[in-house]
Amino acid sequence: MDKQLIISVGREFGSGGHIVAAKLAEYFGLPLFDSNILGDIAKEKNTSEEYLRKYDESARNLLFSRTVNGFSNSPEEVIAQMQFEYIKNRADAGESFVVIGRCSDYILRENPGLVRVFILGDMDSKIKRTAEREGISEEKAKSRIEQHDKRRKYYHNTHCDTKWGDSRSYDITVNSSRLGIEGTTELLIRYIELKNA
Amino acid sequence: MVLSAILAVVVFVVMFIMSARDRLSRTAAMGMSALGTILLLFGTFMGLSNDESGLIAKIVAVLIFVVMFVLIIMDKIERHIVTLCCGLATLVMVFGICMKSIDAVWETLNVANIFTPGFWYTAGSAEESSSGINWATIIFIAGMMVMVEGMAKAGFFRWLCMTLAKLVKYKVIPLFITFMLMSAVLSMFIDSITVILFLAAVTVELAQLLKFNPIPMILSEVFCANLGGSATMCGDPPNIIVGTSLGYSFADFLTNTGVIAGISLVFVLVYFFLIFRKELSEASKNNIDTSKMPDPKEAITDKRGFIISIVIFLIAVVMLVTHAQTGLTVAFIGAVVAVLTLATSGKSCLELLKKVDYKTLLFFVGLFVVVGGLEQTGVLVVVADFIGSISGGNALLMVAIIIWISAIASSVVDNIPFAATMIPIIKTLSLTTGTSLDVLAWSLSLGTDIGGSATPIGASANVVGTSVAAKHGYPIGWGRYLKACVPATVIVLVICTVSIFIRYGAELGIY
Repeated sequence: MDKQLIISVGREFGSGGHIVAAKLAEYFGLPLFDSNILGDIAKEKNTSEEYLRKYDESARNLLFSRTVNGFSNSPEEVIAQMQFEYIKNRADAGESFVVIGRCSDYILRENPGLVRVFILGDMDSKIKRTAEREGISEEKAKSRIEQHDKRRKYYHNTHCDTKWGDSRSYDITVNSSRLGIEGTTELLIRYIELKNA
Repeated sequence: MVLSAILAVVVFVVMFIMSARDRLSRTAAMGMSALGTILLLFGTFMGLSNDESGLIAKIVAVLIFVVMFVLIIMDKIERHIVTLCCGLATLVMVFGICMKSIDAVWETLNVANIFTPGFWYTAGSAEESSSGINWATIIFIAGMMVMVEGMAKAGFFRWLCMTLAKLVKYKVIPLFITFMLMSAVLSMFIDSITVILFLAAVTVELAQLLKFNPIPMILSEVFCANLGGSATMCGDPPNIIVGTSLGYSFADFLTNTGVIAGISLVFVLVYFFLIFRKELSEASKNNIDTSKMPDPKEAITDKRGFIISIVIFLIAVVMLVTHAQTGLTVAFIGAVVAVLTLATSGKSCLELLKKVDYKTLLFFVGLFVVVGGLEQTGVLVVVADFIGSISGGNALLMVAIIIWISAIASSVVDNIPFAATMIPIIKTLSLTTGTSLDVLAWSLSLGTDIGGSATPIGASANVVGTSVAAKHGYPIGWGRYLKACVPATVIVLVICTVSIFIRYGAELGIY
């Protein structure tokens, strides 16, 4: 691919956004960045990925962290910044990739090759998918969805001026419950191809 | 007045709940803030007409202080902006509107004090006015910042760390002990933020080369930096404020808090060695070729600057150690080291000046004004009377309360505003109960300095140390931090309490 293409996929928990992102990456032949970038960061820093994974996609706790002379001691904040830097460096180097979450819709907003996607879903279908995938009751699935979405929203809104899930923050927002995973993927492929034509 | 205050509180609470639920647009938030502020101002003006006892002034001063503390803890707005805005609010609302006292404003701004000879040189006691802005603290800290920047630029700290590592042949356990000692000793003269900034960075670098986990070493260094800072007048900001406000010398601190810190350091070394011995012993088994370690000389970026910075540092140490005899105040010493550093830095002069942490200096200015508001309105006398009454005039209980309450408070909030607030309180306590001011001052210093070590947010060194570790891929969670540092803090606080009871038993009426 000559032209740089970066697909940023924001998603609601249980909406199938991760699967859609993986399919997009496969179709366009691009690497997929999600929590796996922590492995690269850990290797680069000569440390263990395990240390970093605990704080992935979490926002700092205001009461339990402080900043002194620009040094924040919130592990969540530091790890978020490491990931932002990683994604930004790759984008600045002209690489094409698909990135899931990690405020990439905002961090890479200046990049002309960026396509910002947000995938949502109806609560019923999200509950069904989560319960099946994780082998838990629907009640538990609902509470897990609410918990994860709350955390993602707080994480995103802490680091960005734009709002998580707000259609104005993205190029396209799709409800995966309408077309299913395959249909949503197809729609997005058409959209990206048209946009890049 | 009461009605408008209640309405203002209701408006702010509704605004807070709505914003927490993310149901508040920016315009609505601004509108509600304006309405709440107008109601508060209206209430204040109404109350003023009937404020013979100064109660409204007290309430406003406390409100401003609480808002300042909450905003500092929330960390959403830079802390110097918070203290400056709250300082301005104190000047306008407390001194201007409530007290209508221009004298209180001048007393708090304290500018005239700088132009008195006693500010720079004093033959006897160097007591600063404790009311208002403590310019001696600010000038001293600014001067030391310039000096430390000069030392850092020349590569002094990295050179020192690498040289000591080489001296102990890069062996993990001796390195652990040496770095703890170095952290404590350097923090006696240099601000602990700078010490930890360099020490933690070198520790991570060595940990990666020698293949060990740097977290135990960083936690121990941070603790020792705070402990070392408690030993001298210039080691930790609360000590500088206590020293300049109450007229203590460097030697006074060294022979009082310094001795206790020295005893505690021995226990702390043993404690950290025992809790981390497993990890340290395992790391010692790694077979590493130390011939490829970086040469300490490589750390020196400018040989001439390096020598000059060491000489200036030594001059500062000599002036500090002897200032009780020479009569030179800490403000004078700070100014001299800054001028010497800038004069010898040549082209880097502007660069050094730019690197001075003005935000911290402004933070101090605003903070002193807000605390001045509490002092001028007599709020701190009420607090002092309260402490005096709950201790029932028992000096031992009073000392214990000051050490432990200061420590607990400093473990969760910034110890600088806490110490600044407590100074007028211990002064009043000493006057009203007859308890020795010296003993209360040492208790306050030790409590605030040591208490800060207990949590990752208690002191600046902890924040910087844990931040450096996280940036290098070793995040330190609260659990890990507390498990190591809370027992150490308790051990040191017990040592401090017992040492103060034994050493000052006569003053406290024990024997």
